[in-house]
Amino acid sequence: MNEYVIRTKQLTKTFKSGFTLNDINISIKKGEIYGLIGENGAGKSTLLRLITGLAFPTSGEIERFGSTKPNMIANAQKRMGAIIENPALFPHLTAYENLEVHRLQKGIPGRDCIERTLKLVGLKHTGKKKVKNFSLGMRQRLGLAIALLSDPELLILDEPTNGLDPSGIVEMRELILKLNREKGLTVLISSHILSELYQLATRFSFIHKGKLLEELSKKELDERCRKHIRIKVDNPARGATVLERSLATDDFEVLSDGTIKLYRYLDDVRTVSRILTENGLIIEHLSLNGDSLESYYTNLIGGNKD
Amino acid sequence: MNNLIRAEFYKLERNPAFWALVFSVTGLSTLLHFLILTEWWYMSGTPFYQAGLVELNGLSPFITPLFFNLLVGTLAAYSIATEFSRNGVIRNQIMSGNQRNHIFLSKFTVFSLGSFFIVIVIPMVTALILATFFGNEHLLTVSQALFIARSYGLFFLHFLCFTGMVLFIAILSEDSGRTILFTLLLSVVMFAIEKLVTTPFIKFLYEQTFFYQMSNAFNHSLSSGEIAKSIVVGIVSLLIILGCGMFMFKKKEFH
Repeated sequence: MNEYVIRTKQLTKTFKSGFTLNDINISIKKGEIYGLIGENGAGKSTLLRLITGLAFPTSGEIERFGSTKPNMIANAQKRMGAIIENPALFPHLTAYENLEVHRLQKGIPGRDCIERTLKLVGLKHTGKKKVKNFSLGMRQRLGLAIALLSDPELLILDEPTNGLDPSGIVEMRELILKLNREKGLTVLISSHILSELYQLATRFSFIHKGKLLEELSKKELDERCRKHIRIKVDNPARGATVLERSLATDDFEVLSDGTIKLYRYLDDVRTVSRILTENGLIIEHLSLNGDSLESYYTNLIGGNKD
Repeated sequence: MNNLIRAEFYKLERNPAFWALVFSVTGLSTLLHFLILTEWWYMSGTPFYQAGLVELNGLSPFITPLFFNLLVGTLAAYSIATEFSRNGVIRNQIMSGNQRNHIFLSKFTVFSLGSFFIVIVIPMVTALILATFFGNEHLLTVSQALFIARSYGLFFLHFLCFTGMVLFIAILSEDSGRTILFTLLLSVVMFAIEKLVTTPFIKFLYEQTFFYQMSNAFNHSLSSGEIAKSIVVGIVSLLIILGCGMFMFKKKEFH
């Protein structure tokens, strides 16, 4: 069985306006909550539209549920539920009627799924209230209900908390987590707010100006954001031995470029410096580092302004 | 595709614009036929007049493109174009896992039937009810019934071409106002060609279009050859319009 729900290979989409989504390679495993982070206009919605089949790539490949064949898009779409940008609703219909339209067009037998889904998103008691009289939060939840109606394997949500009040954001987050835990639903969710996605996603990718800057797991992100002392010495191997023996810690890592990230002695940088020097090491760089999520993100895109 | 057609019907039944058109056309048609049947209003020179069916003269506006395109264009604007523009529900339809061709054809089927109901069924039913009510129950002779069947049969075929064209415009324009405007413009251009252009070549070209055949369908003295030509023009036009529509819909990207 294919462990990947979605995989893109060198996916590129060029627009007449000049904007290009360039060479995007992402992989979404079954059961993951995959967070897509980027500023407004970074290309998140374009990528989601390509994945859902609303738009077509200029080049590159999209593998949906193990198939890359263009004529299998409809089959893959049956296994997805999505809200792209705003939830698409009929304002003159009730929540029940909106779901009935989608039930009919998806060919789902029986109306039980409508009651069940309305209950799941907390809209069971809206009765004959027309969608045009719904609050923004209710509309978002109805959009989610539409996406969930056919029990999809992959849920795609484009900025689902846009315009929601804080309690609405919490509700939406808890609902997504519940679906992921209880039903094993794979979720692809985009946002421009990293701290919001951090509470949900198990894997992240950062998009900036149409380019994928980084794809990493939550653990890796935590590592990147963890406070540490960044040390660069003339002999990294010896530096590591000194840290182990003289400072009695193994809570550090040596990166491929020889940089050492020390996660202890954060309040005692002087001692670290002294010990290294006393052991005959030449310190090329020593600084206290560590980002908040937001500053990590800002630094990441800041370093890729062009 | 059956599911899609059911979904389209469900939407049409709950579309306020559709019901507004149904009530407006019912009222207008009833009034027109009432005025004609009570001889408050006299019309001559219409296809029905020439067929000896003056009681059905009230049907004349409903077979005139400049008039019925307002009805069809309005229905297209508020049932199809809005799905692209205002709320983007077309995205959900595309993502529902149905073939785009099926989505297009289901929209065409239901939209055409809705338009058929508004433009043909309601005026015809109100005409027959009022004619019967005013003591004209033996209104149609066999030859007149055949004329009505033949004319409306041909008219329906070309009407399908027209609704296909309007659907094409609605999908292309993605806007209700522009849909009404462009369909009206199309009818005005065709009307102008029919009435004003005298160049034989353009006249010849125009006569090969479903627009001409639509008006010609009610010609009282159509020969068998002309009927066959009308059918061929209708079928070929319909295939071309639907083919182009499906091609465009398949290539269209949704934002």
